[in-house]
Amino acid sequence: MSKTYEYVPEPALVKGNYDFKDITAMITDINLRPTPKGWYIAFGFANLLLLVLLGSIAYLFWEGIGIWGLNSPAGWGWAIVNFVWWVGIGHAGTLISAILFLFRQGWRTAINRFAEAMTIFAVMCAGIFPAIHVGRVWVIYWVFPIPNSMTMWPNFNSPLLWDVFAVSTYFTVSFLFWYVGLVPDFATIRDRIKSKMGKLIYGTFALGWRGSNRHWWNYEKSYMILAGLATPLVLSVHTIVSFDFAVSIIPGWHTTIFPPYFVAGAVFSGFAMVLSLMIIVRKMYGLEDIMTVDHIEKMNIIILVTGSMVGFAYAMEFFIAWYSGVEYEKAIFILRATGPYAWAYWIMITCNVASPQFFWSKKLRRSVGFTFFISIVVNIGMWFERFVIAVSSLSTDYLPSSWGYYSPTFWDISTYIGTFGLFFTFFLLFLRFLPMVAVAELKGVLPQADPHNYDEKGEYVPPVVEIPEPYNKPSKNV
Amino acid sequence: MSDQSNQTTYWKSLNELAQNKEYKNFVEREFPEDATELSDQVSRRSFLRVMGASIALAGFASCRKPVQKILPFSRQPEELVLGEPLFYATSMPFQDSVTGLLVTNVDGRPNKIEGNDAHPASTGRTNIFQQASILGLYDPDRSRSPLQNGEKVSKNDFAQFASDHFADRNRNVLFIDEATSSPTYHRLKEELLAQFPNAEWVTYEPFSDQNVIEGTQIAFGQRLRTVNHYDNADLVVALDDDFMSPQAHNNSVENSVKLTAKRKVESTDDSMSRIYAIENAFTSTGSYADHRLRLKSSEIEPFTYALAAKLSESVDGLAAFSGVSNAFSSHRWIDILASELLANQGSSTVSAGFDHSPTLHAAVAAINYALGNAGNSVTYHSLPYRADRNEQQAFFDAITELKAGVFDTLVMVGTNVAFTAPSDLDLVQALANVETKIHLSDYVDETSRVSDWHVNRAHYIETWGDGLSFTGERSVIQPQIQPLFDGLSEIEFLSTLLNGEISSGHELVQATWSNFLGSDMNRAWETVLHDGVDAESGFDAVNVALTSGFASEIAPSLSSEALNGIEISIKPDERIYDGRFANNSWLMELPAPMTKITWDNVALMSPATAERIGIDPERSFKDNSVPMVRITAGDTSLEIAAWVEPGHADDSITLTVGYGRNNLGRVADGVGVDTYPLRTSQELFFRAASVEPTGNTYEIACVQDHHSLEGRDMIRTATLEEYKENPDFASYKSIHGYEVPGIKEAEAEGDDRGPISLFNENYGPEYQPQWGMTIDLNSCFGCGVCTIACQAENNIPVIGKREVGRRRIMHWIRTDRYYAGDVDNPTAYHQPVPCMHCELAPCEQVCPVAATTHSEDGMNQMTYNRCIGTRYCANNCPFKVRRFNFFNYTKEYLTTGDDPEIIQMAMNPEVTVRFRGVMEKCTYCVQRVQRAKINSKIATGSKRPEDGAVITACQQACPANAISFGDLTDRNSAVSRNKQNDRNYVMLEEINVRPRTSYLARLSNKNPELA
Amino acid sequence: MKTSDSDNKLYGILAEFRNPKELIDAAKLINEKGYRHYDTFSPFPIHGMDKAMSLAKSKLGWIVAGHGLIGLTGAFYMIYYMMVIDYPLNISGKTLMNLPAWIPIIFELTVLLSAFGAVFGMFYLNGLPKLNHPLFNSEHFKKATDDGFFVCIESEDPQFEQEKVLKLFKDAGATNIESIFDE
Repeated sequence: MSKTYEYVPEPALVKGNYDFKDITAMITDINLRPTPKGWYIAFGFANLLLLVLLGSIAYLFWEGIGIWGLNSPAGWGWAIVNFVWWVGIGHAGTLISAILFLFRQGWRTAINRFAEAMTIFAVMCAGIFPAIHVGRVWVIYWVFPIPNSMTMWPNFNSPLLWDVFAVSTYFTVSFLFWYVGLVPDFATIRDRIKSKMGKLIYGTFALGWRGSNRHWWNYEKSYMILAGLATPLVLSVHTIVSFDFAVSIIPGWHTTIFPPYFVAGAVFSGFAMVLSLMIIVRKMYGLEDIMTVDHIEKMNIIILVTGSMVGFAYAMEFFIAWYSGVEYEKAIFILRATGPYAWAYWIMITCNVASPQFFWSKKLRRSVGFTFFISIVVNIGMWFERFVIAVSSLSTDYLPSSWGYYSPTFWDISTYIGTFGLFFTFFLLFLRFLPMVAVAELKGVLPQADPHNYDEKGEYVPPVVEIPEPYNKPSKNV
Repeated sequence: MSDQSNQTTYWKSLNELAQNKEYKNFVEREFPEDATELSDQVSRRSFLRVMGASIALAGFASCRKPVQKILPFSRQPEELVLGEPLFYATSMPFQDSVTGLLVTNVDGRPNKIEGNDAHPASTGRTNIFQQASILGLYDPDRSRSPLQNGEKVSKNDFAQFASDHFADRNRNVLFIDEATSSPTYHRLKEELLAQFPNAEWVTYEPFSDQNVIEGTQIAFGQRLRTVNHYDNADLVVALDDDFMSPQAHNNSVENSVKLTAKRKVESTDDSMSRIYAIENAFTSTGSYADHRLRLKSSEIEPFTYALAAKLSESVDGLAAFSGVSNAFSSHRWIDILASELLANQGSSTVSAGFDHSPTLHAAVAAINYALGNAGNSVTYHSLPYRADRNEQQAFFDAITELKAGVFDTLVMVGTNVAFTAPSDLDLVQALANVETKIHLSDYVDETSRVSDWHVNRAHYIETWGDGLSFTGERSVIQPQIQPLFDGLSEIEFLSTLLNGEISSGHELVQATWSNFLGSDMNRAWETVLHDGVDAESGFDAVNVALTSGFASEIAPSLSSEALNGIEISIKPDERIYDGRFANNSWLMELPAPMTKITWDNVALMSPATAERIGIDPERSFKDNSVPMVRITAGDTSLEIAAWVEPGHADDSITLTVGYGRNNLGRVADGVGVDTYPLRTSQELFFRAASVEPTGNTYEIACVQDHHSLEGRDMIRTATLEEYKENPDFASYKSIHGYEVPGIKEAEAEGDDRGPISLFNENYGPEYQPQWGMTIDLNSCFGCGVCTIACQAENNIPVIGKREVGRRRIMHWIRTDRYYAGDVDNPTAYHQPVPCMHCELAPCEQVCPVAATTHSEDGMNQMTYNRCIGTRYCANNCPFKVRRFNFFNYTKEYLTTGDDPEIIQMAMNPEVTVRFRGVMEKCTYCVQRVQRAKINSKIATGSKRPEDGAVITACQQACPANAISFGDLTDRNSAVSRNKQNDRNYVMLEEINVRPRTSYLARLSNKNPELA
Repeated sequence: MKTSDSDNKLYGILAEFRNPKELIDAAKLINEKGYRHYDTFSPFPIHGMDKAMSLAKSKLGWIVAGHGLIGLTGAFYMIYYMMVIDYPLNISGKTLMNLPAWIPIIFELTVLLSAFGAVFGMFYLNGLPKLNHPLFNSEHFKKATDDGFFVCIESEDPQFEQEKVLKLFKDAGATNIESIFDE
């Protein structure tokens, strides 16, 4: 017997019918029109937080690391947790622009620009922590292979050094990737902006781009290669961050599952952060037609998948701890779930494993409000994941005599809060002065952009979605 | 929080001393950690504040070599080579005995104290008081000049006063002094008493072996010194006697050396003595014993009589006790102890704590006598210098006369009676009845403040003196440096009173010794200075016999019963004794051997008792606050932090004295609670009391928050029998039932170094020694002297209570203490943990800047000036032995204050001081290793010093001889032999880091009947 | 169409088309006619334009490969020099040549240099940055980055003849034709 299928066509990437001009206007006008009052308020607030960060760091440098809650055994605390958390968030951007690009996911074009921006700012926030958490910050440059009076070189066996290279490479490449994407749009603004100053500035950044197809030819090649490079890079970065823990011998850290587990977690939190920002931005700037509910749904699916992967990793850790037969390994996982840090552990489970499961329901997947809520919850959960890993393992490791509880001080907290100031300061500047959607790329995915959608007389004929015949299994006896 | 707890919790900060409101708000803020801005000042500067001084002293940096001729120790070059340390013999007086020491003296600056091999009370070992006394020397809070009614005056003013005042030889003078054994002192004392017919002279020590001596008076009719020879005792019965701890026994070092020597086990053929401890609080000795019985202090006496009664059935001489029948007569332990003692007649020791009654000690003496121990494992010696009377009683009587206004002049030598005297004597009020009060002391203390004249006493390292060891060997105390604060020694003080002018200690001592040394004075004198002891001398042993009146004299006490309900037991403190060391920050920050508490005194009680009075026996893992209790005895009452100590006797609370000082010094002030008021002349040591929780809490800085082994194998133990059956008991295989993963594979490849590894490891070249250490857990009893010795040797800063409370203690060697078994009566294990110097050190590979690497001679080294302080190495250290300078501890400690040069003089010039933000840890005393290697290179051309040429600070100090260190490539070195011992094991063998420091498993010699 | 003042050199002739399809067709036509010095301009890359203009395969791949190789070998030798030759240290007893531990950094530096190659190589091939260009003299040309589709045949093309070109554009259905001058 044959079964009938309901065919759901790919939703249009841009709702409503806009032509190229409308797209240009809709996006670049945001940068051209005078600054709204609301932006100033937000920016002022972000600047206050930024001051908190600078203040905290200044006091840290003045007094020393002791102002934080660190102790022996817990030599790492909030600083490293925040570092891993921010780096994790920094994964969504490049992932969206690179991996989804390679997979020809047209829908990425609506969000890749500001996802990348978010990445860059998140990595900046992340980068602060390893730099300031050292005891003698004034010699931090010793981690780079620079000839010095001691004629010594850094230790290339150290995961921390791998980190230095991984994070700085990641930042540089993401930045280049982002900039290359921006060049044509700089050109667009250059050609639309009235003020002389603006022309000069945008013109300079546009490098004289004039949309030549001979240029587009190399440009697309370059973009493709960058995507190809960024893909393994983005995976390697959190892999290497996870080595900070996995390569050590501390129970609960010394685990081979960390790289995939960390990367999944990174994507998880990254997408959540993109959603949180996107949901606000699309409302603020009326871009619902570009960043559509379909986008939100697609991202929620990824959150559901990665969230479940993370959940699987948690379960696997427990299993291996038991299966390995290493008593310290067993002990630490039991302690995580029942010990002094159980509260953090269960926050982590609830936020990261339970909450995404709601997205099995299409209705919730497409509910903007609910998505926003979950996206926040997920980021809280991911912070606690890093806290649980970093702190609980240290505070209860091999020798029970050295066990000790870690709790943060005022300065741990203020520094963390402060980094949001840094993040939002940059992000608001980005929203104000740069096209937050890749204009050229977006035009490229409009149906009008495809020469085949025109008739002989060169008139536009919208493409029709032809519904394929349902496949009927041929009956044996024929 | 109550005001009191407030004062004592936040132990130091000028604001706080000023009782600044703002500060109070601060410490009571919701976010405790939030107080960093202030508190860090507190904790960081504390030491400096402590060390900072108010009067600038001229020319400190310059060295101050003593003018008289003192001789360097023979093993060192006779002439002074700049930067080359010289070792001088001297000895430290403590109450009425001295312990021989060697002082390391660099360019005229004494900066390390070690034991003198030649001295019987030391045999090269030391206790924490001796190790820390070097810091006492450089304590800028010491009194710096004589005071007349609180006004600074000069030494000569005092001499002038003395000559005027004592011109009238008929004055009614009362002398109160501390116990001392100095022959010169006693010579001057005799002269003074001869010169002043109306003078009375009494000695008061709040804690001493007074009652032991009175016991021998009752038993043998003479006041004698009891010496237990643990080296020829197969059986040791300690009745509430913590004889291995310095605060509980003047001769603790010798006791520990001998007792642990008797329990060294090299092979299955060796035997161990058996120790029974019957005690109130859980003490080091109790933790070292094979069997331990919890009895509260007041139960010890009836218990002992019951034991004597039991013994009287089998041996002669104890007839006096035959009638005794009390609550303990049927106690299981009585039979067991009795049969054990009878089985070991002549080779056992029975001893009781100093704080028990003379009659109890008499009973103990009688038991030793009856068992034939007297003359063998226990000897009795005459005490020539000691007046033949009950000194304590004499003191009490003198105070009564004082109140009656009998005396016009009171001379107090060293003692701090105003602080330490029993509360009912009301001494301060008594002093009011004396016109002239003269007080010699180290600090301007409670007594100085109520005296008309205060004279600043010189430190023993600064002055000439002499003294007798516990067993009477004569030693000279030779100064290592000119008096920093220009004080007077006791003998100089007395001679000033006598002659009205200051004469040099050197002459006074020589004058005395000319009698001892007779002809050829100079030569003999030099020998004594050089050796540090006159080996021929010593108290004469006395053949004792029970007095005829013994039975009748002891009879009245035999009916004594234990106190009902809760009792308090007041003890000298493990760290600051009777308070005399209260301003010594090394001692203050040393974790107490059993509780691991720093910077405070607490009320110790058993879990059961805690529960009964309504305190949660479980301490929170998450914060440092503990409940406070109000203790009321008689009409005195005080509030103090309660601390639950597993193994403490029920219905009993142990308190220690010496805390709660004001205006004594910057370390001592505001730390802990003064518990002296609870003592009365009738009930000095223990008494009934009532206790209830006050609901207040108090921050305690304890360095160990978790006390169970969690079933892990860090500590490995067996009974002697089990060991003989299975010598291999400590191996990973016999504990886990399977080999260390990867060990077979390694052996298959002919690698015996450990489990198989992915890499071909680097090892040091042939021409280099490979250093290693073993720590014998069968010897360690947790005294903590290794920690202090290490602190002195390696310039380790003191960081203050708050920083310790944040788990940032800096000690390079810590002693972990684990409880095992029943929470009410657990076994305690001590495990000293320095850096393990792993061959495959996990800390090294994670350092991004290669600041910690491996040396050719197999040491894990920290390059301080390369360290950037990521703390990754500390995280990756499975033993958590790395210490981080979270603040600029050392710099503050060495540069703040008006005359920081003083504390700087205490630094060891051979050890780098560490800066803020760098990691540090045990170096295996690399400076000593290098010195030995250089010497050996010069002497023999080989970089391998002969065995024993390198002795680490901790090893040197250890009175249990638990630590051995040396070259592992030399198969015959002591350390190699230990490593070949069956009991040798390393911690965490399975993670294959290959520690160079290994442990010898602990054994216990259990009595099958009790096991 | 406008006339030019003679003292100013003619750069080329610019024609606008309505949409991508017409632009492609025009490009094909021009290509067949054998013009070489011409270019098409659009706000976004148009699929099939490379064939229409028969553009040679981009050399960018080789540039990137070259950079990547430098990154790979350079990183390896840097680490080898620092860890083995210049300052050998016994770290955790590991062999000096501890290759597995070097892989992450070697990888990162390879990627980093490749990325430099990809970005700066592309700019190099495109002759960017080039902040001024005759085409920018045309107000009209601004649409090229918005919704305009242009073709420009440059005067230095060997078979460039104004009339022919104008005719060609008209036939191809250009909506707007103008001459572009230097300066």
